[in-house]
Amino acid sequence: MRKHSSLNFPEIALARVLDALEEDLIHASDEEIQGAAGDLGMNLAMKGSAAFIGLRSPGSARLPDFFDLENLTQIRGEIKGLALVNRSGRDPTDR
Amino acid sequence: MTPRLIKIMSPLPKLTDNRVLRPAETALALDLISRMDFLRLKSIARWHARGLPADVTWDDLLQEAITRVLVGSRQQPEGITTVAFLAGIMRSLRSEHWRRMRQGPGAAETLHLDQQRDLSKEPALRDPAPDPERSLMAREGLAAIDALFASDPVALQIIAGLAEGRTAAQIRSGAGITKTGYESARKRMRRALLREGLTCENIRP
Repeated sequence: MRKHSSLNFPEIALARVLDALEEDLIHASDEEIQGAAGDLGMNLAMKGSAAFIGLRSPGSARLPDFFDLENLTQIRGEIKGLALVNRSGRDPTDR
Repeated sequence: MTPRLIKIMSPLPKLTDNRVLRPAETALALDLISRMDFLRLKSIARWHARGLPADVTWDDLLQEAITRVLVGSRQQPEGITTVAFLAGIMRSLRSEHWRRMRQGPGAAETLHLDQQRDLSKEPALRDPAPDPERSLMAREGLAAIDALFASDPVALQIIAGLAEGRTAAQIRSGAGITKTGYESARKRMRRALLREGLTCENIRP
């Protein structure tokens, strides 16, 4: 746990750390990048190296990439309705 | 698989669509950046994505920054490298997303592609009043950074000093670290950041 006073303003503290270390990444040499890739077992000479994910393909998959969220929400609503019927023993839409 | 389930599942997207060039790929094709620059930028994007809302990824930051340069909404000043310039745009985007979080839902439309303001010259944090949710996210971000350097006590001292806004000399004298010790720790930290930056694992704490 951090003991310094930056805990009072964690957002400012985080911004300071991010900005300070960004400089290190801007000035990283090719050799350092290759070394880091080597640590991970990545071969940067390979065309399909995992290091280059984000260049030709999205860096991360999201739910809408795989599901039609509108339909999913509708079905969830229907399932909720069915659960209510099961719990009460009768259809909640019957008055 | 039931027809119902098939209905809600979109066809699996191809990982690579050869018909569409992504902004980073375009920048590479136009020789704006090299392949090694892309890796630097990817590491920087992953670094800046810490503490951002869940709907924003490092990929969004990177592609958006490159898009702004490609469409000419941000112009590179002379004497600044492309990597430094793109890093500055990502920093601005991060500040903008934090501002959006402060303003609450519905503020997303403030982030326009054709924005001409130089956000990097604006204060990153206008309202320092702690908000519980944002504070929690920032704390988690700081904790994740601490975890990244957990096995390196000197690096942790440096991180704590940077978080306090101290200079290198102040950190060295405060923590009793020699200049050589400080430089080697920064080198180790850079290597760790690059390792983290080259992966594609989830960076959220």
